[in-house]
Amino acid sequence: MLIRSPKSWEISASTVTPEALYHARPRREFLRTLGVGLAGAALARPGALFGATAGFPSKENPLYPAAKLKPTAEEYVTVYNNFYEFGTGKDEPKVNANKGWKTDPWTIELAGLVNQPAKFDVNDLVKKIGGLEERIYRFRCVEAWSMVIPWDGFPLAKLVALADPKPEAKYLKLTSFNDPKSAIGQRQGNLEYPYVEGLRLDEATHELAFMATGLFGKPLPNQNGAPIRLVTPWKYGFKNIKSVVKIEFTATQPKNTWQAMAANEYGFYANVNPKVDHPRWSQASEQIIGGGFFASRQATLMFNGYEKEVASLYKGLDLAKNF
Amino acid sequence: MFSVASCFREAQLQPVVVFLEKLLRSKPVIWTLLILPGLWPLWPLLVTRSPAAGADPLKLILHHLGFIACVLLATVLTFTPLRVLFPRWGVAFALNRHRRLVGVASFAYALLHLTAYLMHEGGFRTLIHDAFEQPKFFIVAGLVAFTILLVLAVTSVNALIRRLGGRRWKNLHRLVYVAAALAVYHQIYARKLFPVQVLWIFGPLGLLEIARVIRQQQTAGGRVKPAG
Ligand code: HEM
Repeated sequence: MLIRSPKSWEISASTVTPEALYHARPRREFLRTLGVGLAGAALARPGALFGATAGFPSKENPLYPAAKLKPTAEEYVTVYNNFYEFGTGKDEPKVNANKGWKTDPWTIELAGLVNQPAKFDVNDLVKKIGGLEERIYRFRCVEAWSMVIPWDGFPLAKLVALADPKPEAKYLKLTSFNDPKSAIGQRQGNLEYPYVEGLRLDEATHELAFMATGLFGKPLPNQNGAPIRLVTPWKYGFKNIKSVVKIEFTATQPKNTWQAMAANEYGFYANVNPKVDHPRWSQASEQIIGGGFFASRQATLMFNGYEKEVASLYKGLDLAKNF
Repeated sequence: MFSVASCFREAQLQPVVVFLEKLLRSKPVIWTLLILPGLWPLWPLLVTRSPAAGADPLKLILHHLGFIACVLLATVLTFTPLRVLFPRWGVAFALNRHRRLVGVASFAYALLHLTAYLMHEGGFRTLIHDAFEQPKFFIVAGLVAFTILLVLAVTSVNALIRRLGGRRWKNLHRLVYVAAALAVYHQIYARKLFPVQVLWIFGPLGLLEIARVIRQQQTAGGRVKPAG
């Protein structure tokens, strides 16, 4: 099997550091914070207006601990978003994705060249997978800024194992939602929708590839791609497709949305690489979001600091051509 | 002949126009109009303390300063066509007394924009890399536009205007149209998607320029009859 044993990373709840600021608050409390008491009562599942709530609190994965990386302040992570479905301004998604767009209930489909095609409710999927773990990852946007984000989720490899790909399957094509009625950016047609991303199968089963349903110990806010999104920390942010509805296993390389928009600027791989410039700016350094006025720029690391883990995936590949 | 001023007069708006003219003739008013918009980022950064602004404050400032530089550049270029099209309109006349000030202010904002860029993106090393080692056209365009504005600002001191003489000075200062075209290109390619604001910054100027060319051809045609 392609899958390395992710089970060995799981740890008991007792090692979770409760004093960490961002750690899971009881579900009722965060729902109250969101002020959805009344609206929630009208729904089939009371309280759950959006996001996938199953699996919280998550367990910290000690391989990706908070101690090593200091997370960006939550107020920045949840307001500084590229989610063109809800507008191109950084702070637009927070407003526009919370005007009635429903992310619960949500179905995600496994399809294509697999032995076990299936459709799952996201909450059921989390339970089936066996709960959530927390990982602190660096996040590097192609626009040369970066954050550190504590995600809650599960390895994509577990989802791939559920689907049980056929031998011909070489790639994953991930598709986001298409709902122009709820998404102003889709009505405007600022990109081609639905948003599509892709991974090679060996990238998807790499231990770092992650499906997140939460951040800061809580279900994903809508603007961060609720209820389920991809996180590949060694790749530029646009690779991390939000609000996924379908994962299709294919024999040929899928064309991702930004590559279709401008193939000379955005490639299929989108691996973070300080030595390969974007045609319009250098990728050698990055702005630290929330870092203030001074000394808030740092050198960008090869594969965003995950070189040791992922470099072997790209042996022999010309990274300047396959950007 | 059609004139905006006479329209206003018929609509009993003359007092308003006179007031506007007076206002626009006043230097303190113009200075305030030039400086105030540049201070806008202080509002979200210091007063409302919006996290969206605080996430990357220098970038916000960088964008805003470039934006104001473009707005002022487009604005100062409307002054001449306004005067040609509406020769008896006092407001157009009042505005044309401030051409140098507004033009130099556009340069000043471009200079601050460049400073913010140097602070934000890693100093001269990045500039040299992005303009010369691995040239990015939108940065080169910005740099050329900036250099033009610099030359025009420097040659706008009285002594140099006199030294150069009217015709040479005028020819040199026609470069401002090159700078404006480069600024349009620069602004569009600074973004991942086409920024609609370009249209409303430079659209009115484009329309006025077309109207001016038509008007000047009409009047020229009236004076010198083409042969045949
Ligand atoms: C040496 C000269 C210049 C440099 C290095 C420079 C650099 C930049 C950079 C890097 C950006 C994009 C920022 C980002 O999104 O990351 C930008 C945007 C911009 N620049 Fe410049 N620039 C220069 C000159 C100018 C000049 C002369 C003008 C106008 C007269 C100008 C107007 C603008 C505008 C309007 C934007 C777009 C802001 C936005 O998208 O909101 N720049 N510039």
